[in-house]
Amino acid sequence: MMLKLNDIHTFYGNIQALKGVSLEIEEGEIITLIGSNGAGKTTTLMSVCGLTPPRTGEILFRGKQIHALNADKIVALGISQIPEGRRIFPEFTIKENLEMGAYLRNDKVEIRKDLDYMFDLFPILKERQNQRGGSLSGGEQQMLAISRALMARPTLLLLDEPSLGLAPIIVRQIFDIIKKINQEQKTTIFLVEQNANLALKVAHRGYVMENGQITLVDSASNLLNDEAVKKIYLGA
Amino acid sequence: MAEFKKSFIAALWFVILTFPFVAMKVDSFEKVVTWRWDNVLYMGVGCFFFSWLWRYLLQRKEFSKTEDKNKKSLFQQTLKDRLFSDPKVFRPVLIAAFCVAVIFPFLFSPYQTTIMTTALIYVVLGLGLNIVVGLAGLLDLGYVAFYAVGAYSYALFNYYYGWGFWSILPAGAILAAMFGVVLGVPVLRLRGDYLAIVTLGFGEIIRLILENWDEVTFGPQGIPNIPKPNFFGLEMDFQTTTLYMYFVVFVMTIFTIVVVRRLNNSRIGRAWIALREDEIACQAMGIDTTKTKLIAFGLGATWAGMMGVFFAAKNSFVNPHSFTFIQSAMILCIVVLGGMGSIVGAILAALILVLLPEYLRAFSEYRMLIFGGIMIIMMVFRPEGLISNVRRKYELHGGEKN
Repeated sequence: MMLKLNDIHTFYGNIQALKGVSLEIEEGEIITLIGSNGAGKTTTLMSVCGLTPPRTGEILFRGKQIHALNADKIVALGISQIPEGRRIFPEFTIKENLEMGAYLRNDKVEIRKDLDYMFDLFPILKERQNQRGGSLSGGEQQMLAISRALMARPTLLLLDEPSLGLAPIIVRQIFDIIKKINQEQKTTIFLVEQNANLALKVAHRGYVMENGQITLVDSASNLLNDEAVKKIYLGA
Repeated sequence: MAEFKKSFIAALWFVILTFPFVAMKVDSFEKVVTWRWDNVLYMGVGCFFFSWLWRYLLQRKEFSKTEDKNKKSLFQQTLKDRLFSDPKVFRPVLIAAFCVAVIFPFLFSPYQTTIMTTALIYVVLGLGLNIVVGLAGLLDLGYVAFYAVGAYSYALFNYYYGWGFWSILPAGAILAAMFGVVLGVPVLRLRGDYLAIVTLGFGEIIRLILENWDEVTFGPQGIPNIPKPNFFGLEMDFQTTTLYMYFVVFVMTIFTIVVVRRLNNSRIGRAWIALREDEIACQAMGIDTTKTKLIAFGLGATWAGMMGVFFAAKNSFVNPHSFTFIQSAMILCIVVLGGMGSIVGAILAALILVLLPEYLRAFSEYRMLIFGGIMIIMMVFRPEGLISNVRRKYELHGGEKN
């Protein structure tokens, strides 16, 4: 078991966003969490990475409790997060952005290697490595955000809405890359998405969330064919 | 043509506004009013001209911006860029500046040397605040508090325990750093305006304590007779002391520049800039934001503490009045005017802001007017400061294109 959320309740002040969420992620899986706006998907992710620590419940990463740790300690354990809205550093060059991803690492040679790997993954970034991050288009920024998170060599990658505000063709490209990362690097991926159709196509298993609670768990292919899911999230 | 019309309206409006005190001269004894119509004319023409010039410059600025984008001249190097990025140009300039600084006190009178000493104090203060405001992006309006901590630590330790300058210099710096961290802890969650207000309050607290704790700090009277630093116990006359003080602060300035430069390019420096850009992304990178902010506050305050000790020694007198908000504002002006995060900018701005008022004594009545005017013009035409940080430039090396 890689990550286990055990009945977590998260609040923003007095407002309860998560009402007892439990989920499990196995090593090497792509898990997706789908749901409508305000269901608590992003909050679940932020609870895992320590930005909005849960009030009750526990989060276990490889059997170790992490819900009381600071965000930076959680990253050090190998959980990288790609925040919603990409949040690249606009004034840093692309290369500097990637180097920031490896902030916690000291092995220069390996960092260099990973940098080359990212440039292989996204050749456009190599071309523009000395440009400011802010000068990139939305899709390129998303690519940068993904590779920046990978620079930390995470074992678990948390992705928050990679399709947000991107053209369909770019979204498809990004999802292909997500799949590739999962296969090549054996990185476990926890994907939060509104675009349920695409997310379920790349994922192994899916969770459906509604009003701060998990309502459905199944394999991705089953969810794709589930009548209720189809009706609500797939628009068919 | 529309611009002319707008300028004309502005001039007319100004003439009406200033009419009572420009055109009318009332003699209250004779009970007559003298009308000075020629003044009105000058006012009108002057305003028209300035307004038009203003518009013209603004327009040109907008124009050059769009042109920049069209031609991609962002990739072209301007003279200024060459000056700072090309070591062949930059090094001789640096060496020349160094030489000038070294022979300065031998060329000019002690009075000039004293002014330069003050200017160098502000260079260091500007560089220190640059860490907090320019790099880490934490707007600190109470920076002078740490300056006060340094100054009073020398004054008090000397008065009560008889410590000398050289032993208090590091102690004052460390004490100020501690105060920096103490201020940092409660403001960790604050950003922007809120942070500014809290730091402003902190600055006032320190000043008010110094002013009201009569038994220890002697309140507004201050503490006199603070000894100057000694040089291996050598007795020095007034002129040598001035010279000596100048070189002490000069060495400290060099030391500061070297350290700040190293910090700028270090891991923690990167973390500071990242923090300025996006705090959430920082956390996602695994940067301990708490620690990073506290280090910024602490290291920023260190320089203020050091300069405080030096300031006390230089003036041989401290009182709370030297540490008012206007001082914080002045140091902040240095950082903003010089360009956030830029070392050369901070140095230039400090020299300009300290030396200009001194040499403009002839216009002393208009000093604040000129000062304010310069600030407005700067912010409109060069909001990024005199010398913007090199980081904000595109780097593109010929070979890598396509």
